[in-house]
Amino acid sequence: MKNSTQTAAKKLSLPHSLRLAVLATLVAVVLGIPMVALGTTDQNGSLILVQRWPWLLWLAIVIFVGRLFTAELAAHGVVDSLKTWLSSRHPNRPKFRDRNPAILWLRGKLPEPTVTLLLLAFLLPMMPFTDRYSIDLATTVLIYVMLGWGLNIVVGLAGLLDLGYVAFYAVGAYSYAIISQTLGLGFWETLPIAGLLAALFGILLGFPVLRLRGDYLAIVTLGFGEIIRIILLNWQSLTNGSRGIGGIARPEFFGLSMSQTAGGDSSTFVDWVNGNLTMIGQWFGGSEAGLEAYRLSYAPVHRITFLYFVILGLLFFTDFLVRRLRNLPIGRAWEALREDEIACRALGINPTMVKLSAFALGAGLGGLAGCFFAARQGFISPESFTFMESATVLAIVVLGGMGSQIGVVVAALFLVLVPELGRAFADYRMVGFGAAMVLIMVFRPEGFVGERKPSLILGLVGKAKSKAKTKGVQ
Amino acid sequence: MAKTTTAPLLTVTDLTLRFGGLVAVDHINLTAEKGEITAVIGPNGAGKTTLFNCLTGFYKPTSGESRIHRDGRDFILESLPPTRLISDAGICRTFQNIRLFQKMTVLENLIIAQHPGLMRASVWSIAGLLGTKKFRAAEAAAVAQARQWMERFDLLAYADLAAGNLPYGVQRRVEIARALCTHPVLLCLDEPAAGLNATESARLNELLLQIRRELGIGILLIEHDMSVVMQISDRIFVLDHGKVIASGTPAEIRKNPAVIAAYLGVEEEEEPAVLKQLSKKSPTQKATTPKTPTKNPSTKKVKKDGKK
Ligand SMILES: Nc1ncnc2c1ncn2[C@@H]1O[C@H](COP(=O)(O)OP(=O)(O)OP(=O)(O)O)[C@@H](O)[C@H]1O
Ligand SMILES: [Mg+2]
Repeated sequence: MKNSTQTAAKKLSLPHSLRLAVLATLVAVVLGIPMVALGTTDQNGSLILVQRWPWLLWLAIVIFVGRLFTAELAAHGVVDSLKTWLSSRHPNRPKFRDRNPAILWLRGKLPEPTVTLLLLAFLLPMMPFTDRYSIDLATTVLIYVMLGWGLNIVVGLAGLLDLGYVAFYAVGAYSYAIISQTLGLGFWETLPIAGLLAALFGILLGFPVLRLRGDYLAIVTLGFGEIIRIILLNWQSLTNGSRGIGGIARPEFFGLSMSQTAGGDSSTFVDWVNGNLTMIGQWFGGSEAGLEAYRLSYAPVHRITFLYFVILGLLFFTDFLVRRLRNLPIGRAWEALREDEIACRALGINPTMVKLSAFALGAGLGGLAGCFFAARQGFISPESFTFMESATVLAIVVLGGMGSQIGVVVAALFLVLVPELGRAFADYRMVGFGAAMVLIMVFRPEGFVGERKPSLILGLVGKAKSKAKTKGVQ
Repeated sequence: MAKTTTAPLLTVTDLTLRFGGLVAVDHINLTAEKGEITAVIGPNGAGKTTLFNCLTGFYKPTSGESRIHRDGRDFILESLPPTRLISDAGICRTFQNIRLFQKMTVLENLIIAQHPGLMRASVWSIAGLLGTKKFRAAEAAAVAQARQWMERFDLLAYADLAAGNLPYGVQRRVEIARALCTHPVLLCLDEPAAGLNATESARLNELLLQIRRELGIGILLIEHDMSVVMQISDRIFVLDHGKVIASGTPAEIRKNPAVIAAYLGVEEEEEPAVLKQLSKKSPTQKATTPKTPTKNPSTKKVKKDGKK
C-alpha cells in the first residue's frame, strides 16, 4: 500500500517538481529585477544606475536548478526521512541521551546545562588563545543571551508574541545613562532602578494589550517599540535626540575605577592592586624587585574582562531566577496561558495577572541588559534600539526552541557568531545567514532544543530539596 | 432572597442569551441537586454548550440568573468575577472539544487546576523562590491531591507524559480529573463520552457514579450518548432551540413522545421504532443518536465554544 503510493509519487514527481521550479524562478526573477538586476552606485558624489542583467540570469539558473533538485529530493522522501531523523522523535519516547547510562552518569555529576555552560564561559578569559576581540565578542553574545532569556519568558513561556522587546532594552539603557549623569549614581545602584523602570514599562505596555493575542498583539508591541524609539529621538532635552548620550560612567569594581584614571576620590583598580602588592610584600619581607613581576600596569583589556564578568554574573542571576520561577506556580501559569487561555479561565486562573507578570519580568530583564549595554558602550543613541534588535532577539528565542533556556544560549551563539565569522565573506554573509535560518526552520521547526522539561516529575516530588529534583527538573 | 436549607444546589431562573437575532438560550429554568447527576440533552445547536458558557462565566446572559447554593450561602453566578466562580461558588467545567494544556504533563495539568491556592502559598512567588517550608508543604499537598485523582482515573502511568499526545479517551479522563482538582461542588461535563469507545464509555459511567456517591457533589452532564444518559442520570432536561421542552427521570423522558420528535427530528409515524431503540439500555451498544460522537475534535474546534 505504502509502496505503491511511493512509486506513484516517483512517477509523477518530475512534472510536479518542474512546475515548482518554474514558479520559484518566476518569483526570483520578479524580485530580482529591482534587487539584483538594477543597482545604484556612488560615483563622484552622484548616484548612478547600474544594470546587471547577467547576474539575474545566473540567479534564475541557480534557483531553477536548486528548486528542481530539492523538489525531487522531497518527492523521493529524502527530505522527510531527514526531517524525522533531525527533529525530535515521538515526544513521549525516551531519547537516546535519556537511556544511555554514560550520559546519564555525566548528567548526574554536572550542574544544570545552562550553569555548566556559564561555568565554562567563566574560564574563557583565562584561556591562552583569548584576546581582547574574543572577550568583546563573547560579551556581545552574553548580552543577547540575557535578552533572549528575558524575551523567552514573554514569548516562549507565556506565548505572547512581542515584537517590541527592544523598547525595554532602550528604557534600561537610557535609565542608566540619564540617572548616572543627572543624579550621579553609579552602575550598581542604578542597575536595579533600570530593571524596575523597564518592568514598569512592561506593565504599561501590558495593560492595553491584555485582550490581544497573536498577530494583533505582535502589531501593537511592534508599534510600542517604535514609539519608544521615536520618543528617544525627539525628546531632545532628556535624551539628546539622535546625537545620543556619551561619556556614560563605567561600572566600578567595589568602588574601584576600571579606567586608566579615576575620577573624584576613588582610586583605580590597578593602583589598588599595586598598592596592596607592596603591603603584602612588606608582610612577607619580600624584595621590591621580586614583586615587580606581579605589578599591574593599566591595560584596556582589564576593563573589558571585568565587563565580561559583570554580564556573566548577571546571567548566573537571571538563569537561576528564570529556572526557579518556571517551576513555581507562576511559571506553570505562564505556560498554561500559552497552551490554552480559555482553559486557564475555566480553572479560576486570572489571565490578567499572569500576562502582566510575564510582561513585567521579561521587560525587567531587558532593562538590566540595557543598563549593562549602556555601561559597556559608554555611548548610546536611538540607533542602537531599532526593530532589527527586537527581531534578532525574537529569532534567538524561536530558533533556540520556545521556552528553552539552553536553546537561547545555543541560538545566541549561532546568531551572533555566524555573521561575525562570516565577515570574511563580506557581502555574502547575510545571504549565508538567511540560508542557514531557512534550513533550520525547515528541518527543525521546533528550534534547536525542541523538547520541554516538565516542571514537576511525579516520581521525584517529595524528595524535596534533594539533588534528584533539581537534576531531573529544569 | 429566601434561603432554605432545601434549596437545590443550582437554580437557573429564566436564563436567556441572544446572539443577535438568535436566541441560543431561551428562558431556561433548571435545577441540579447535590449528589445527583443531572443530564442536559438535546439535538445539535440546542444551546447546551451555550448554557454551560453562561453558567461558567464565559458568556454574560441577556437576562435571568443562575444561583449556586453552597453551605447555606447563595452565590449569583452572573455577579461573580470568573476567578471566584471556581473558588467560591465551586463550579467547574470541562469542554466539548478537550482543552488540556497539551505540551504539559498530566501531573502539571492537575497542578495548574490548583493554581490559585498554590499562588497564594507562594506569596507573589517570593516564598516560592526562597523555597520556604510552608510553600513546599503546599506544593506537596497539591501533588498528593493530583496523585489521588490520577489513581482514581487510572492516569498514574501517564503522569509525566505530555497531555496532548495521549489517546483521546485518556485525555477526556484527564480533563475531568483536572476539573475535580478545583474541589467543585458542581461539576459540569460537556459531552464527556464523545469519542470514547464502548468500554471506555462504560468505565466513564462507573467513574461518574463513583464520584457522585463518594463526593456527594452535583454533576451537570451534557451528553449525546444515550447509553450514558439513560443509565446514570437522576434527572434529565431536554433542550430544543434554546428551550427546555421536557424534564424528568430517564424513564419519563424515554416515554415522552414530544422529546423524541424534537430530539431526533423524526416524523410522528416513525416514533414507535425510535422509542424501541431508545429503550435498549445495553452500555456496549449505543442507541441511535442524531450524531455520531466527534472522533476528530479539531474539526469542531473552529466553530464551537467560540469565545476567543
Ligand atoms: N459565540 C456565538 N455566536 C453566535 N452564535 C453562537 C455562538 N455560540 C453558539 N452559537 C449558536 O447558538 C446555538 C447553540 O449552540 P450550542 O453550541 O450551545 O449548541 P449545543 O447544544 O452545544 O450543540 P452540540 O450538540 O452541537 O454541541 C447554535 O445555533 C450556535 O450556532
Ligand atoms: Mg455543545
